[in-house]
Amino acid sequence: MNLTTALARFLIFPGLLFAVPTAWFFLWVERKAVARMQGRIGPPFMQPVYDFVKLLGKDTPPRTGVAGLLMKMWPLLAVSAAAGAVGLLPVLPSSGGFQGDLILLLALLELPSACIIAAGFSSRSIFGEIGSAREAVLSVAYNVVFLLAIVSIAASQHTFRLEALAQLPASPLRWLGVAAILVCLPAKLHLNPFSLPNAEQEIYSGPMTEYAGPELAMWELSHGLEWVAATGLVATLAAPHVMIVWLAILLFVALSFFVVLLLSTLAAATARLAIDTTVRFYWQCTLIFAVLAISSALFMGLRS
Amino acid sequence: MNILTMLWQNLLGGSRTLLFPERPKVSKGYRGLVRFDPALCSGCAICKMRCTARAIDFKSGKGTFTWSYDPGQCTFCGRCVEGCKTHALSQDAECPPVYLTIGALKKSYTVARKPAPKPAAEVPPVSASQAADPVPGGAQ
Amino acid sequence: MNPWNRLMCYCRRRSPWLFHMNSGSCNGCDIELIAALTPRYDAEQLGVRLEGSPRHADILCVTGPVTHNSVQAIKTVYGQVFAPKAVVAIGSCPATTNVFIDSRTLAGPLNKHIPVDVFVPGCPPRPDAIVLGVAKAAEILAERGVQKPAAAALAADAPAALLTAAPEAIPVSLASAAPAAAEPVAVASAAAPAPAAKEVQP
Repeated sequence: MNLTTALARFLIFPGLLFAVPTAWFFLWVERKAVARMQGRIGPPFMQPVYDFVKLLGKDTPPRTGVAGLLMKMWPLLAVSAAAGAVGLLPVLPSSGGFQGDLILLLALLELPSACIIAAGFSSRSIFGEIGSAREAVLSVAYNVVFLLAIVSIAASQHTFRLEALAQLPASPLRWLGVAAILVCLPAKLHLNPFSLPNAEQEIYSGPMTEYAGPELAMWELSHGLEWVAATGLVATLAAPHVMIVWLAILLFVALSFFVVLLLSTLAAATARLAIDTTVRFYWQCTLIFAVLAISSALFMGLRS
Repeated sequence: MNILTMLWQNLLGGSRTLLFPERPKVSKGYRGLVRFDPALCSGCAICKMRCTARAIDFKSGKGTFTWSYDPGQCTFCGRCVEGCKTHALSQDAECPPVYLTIGALKKSYTVARKPAPKPAAEVPPVSASQAADPVPGGAQ
Repeated sequence: MNPWNRLMCYCRRRSPWLFHMNSGSCNGCDIELIAALTPRYDAEQLGVRLEGSPRHADILCVTGPVTHNSVQAIKTVYGQVFAPKAVVAIGSCPATTNVFIDSRTLAGPLNKHIPVDVFVPGCPPRPDAIVLGVAKAAEILAERGVQKPAAAALAADAPAALLTAAPEAIPVSLASAAPAAAEPVAVASAAAPAPAAKEVQP
């Protein structure tokens, strides 16, 4: 892959030009699906765009000192990391050169949560501290399962390159891994029943309490891009490999949309769990499956 | 599985939302805006005395009185309607409208006092011999 | 109006984010406000979102006659909402203190302390009236956002100028709100009496 192809992937498809409208679309789908399932109408189609533009026009408080600089930096870092993660997704079959690395994709997927945690602490607000502490506990809990699932998929196919992973035929272990990833997605995307960090009734927006205006617009955008990246990861792992470009794109979008609907149904059907129940769920229930996945991957690796 | 059935039924059955700016009809007994009928008012000011929120104001003038009502101050309890002897006040099943400046909804009515009813024509004093007869009804 | 302003006006009207503040009300109006988010009235069809932090909101919805204890909190939270902003007084208590008109614990109607744009009368107002009030406030907000601050400062009364002024430009007469722009939200949202609120400085 040469520089132009890499730039095209990062900027056009599946990079920024595709990811940002898709992020807004997925945010709308989630709100509309939850509303319809609750018997309401829900927001109009362009609502996330209206929110974004309106936030760009609001004032921001003067931010001074190093803490102020950090506060301005975290949302930008979150947006860039999420956009980079979307750009790395192996949607199109590529030929040779730098093929996306799974470790890099995982690191970029983790950065937005890390930015939220850091943002809450650097906002010097007590609600930010509590929200960030909750996000940190949640992050440790689901990340163990998430990373073990992905690593087990990669280890079973003996490769950490994304294109190779996407091209190889699926083994039963891959479906186990995809299921484990799906279980971690509600926590990653702050959806019910694991929507603890932004519990408005309890901690006044948590880590985001002191943010306003364009910074908040960047946080909303990074949240939308996280949606695209996370659902896109599941879509690329679950999709069968096709060589026709437009079919691959269609399959990717359709599978991501299906995952969004699935997560919206879960969000509408459940209520928020407390931190101890959440952590217990991830450490007791799902860890078993992740351990099974990684041990079977290791056995397969040892055998061959 | 109950919740999933509910979600599915909501999806199929459509939303029960009232599309803005449609508003629901209020029921017949709803205690809404107080309506004043100047023709029936006798100017006793019992409504002002009974009003819990001091939304009703009553001022006497020469041969007239001014009755005013501020829906923004009113708590829609209905004590004024209950206390009005001549049924000049009634409560509509209608909500007060949204307004932008204080006192925009206040309404005043200046009503001329009705002339006092003339006393009936003089009845000649009843003599002892006629006391047994029943009194003619016209004197009432 | 240039195209950017026109776009901003269009988007501001369709995305009003609320922050709800109770200044001592009986909770009847608060319940009706939450009822406005339920399926039958669904304020979200207008893009309304009930936000957790005043810094995120455009419209401040206040219920309750303003008690002495809550005056400082109301002013601080008003200062924490960023321009352009609008205030909706829900119920007849913030407009006229309703039945509590002679109470010694009240600090008067709401527009003595912060400029109010829309009054939604009722005791409590119906949820559809609240949605109507919020929609009207969103329209006012959209128009206000594209006004030049200088023109607004020449307006008749001082409180109206607060609406488009930057948070730092709040006049000294409301000095309690002046440092509020940089204060964390924790200060106001605990409706503590005034001395305690001044102690918690960042």
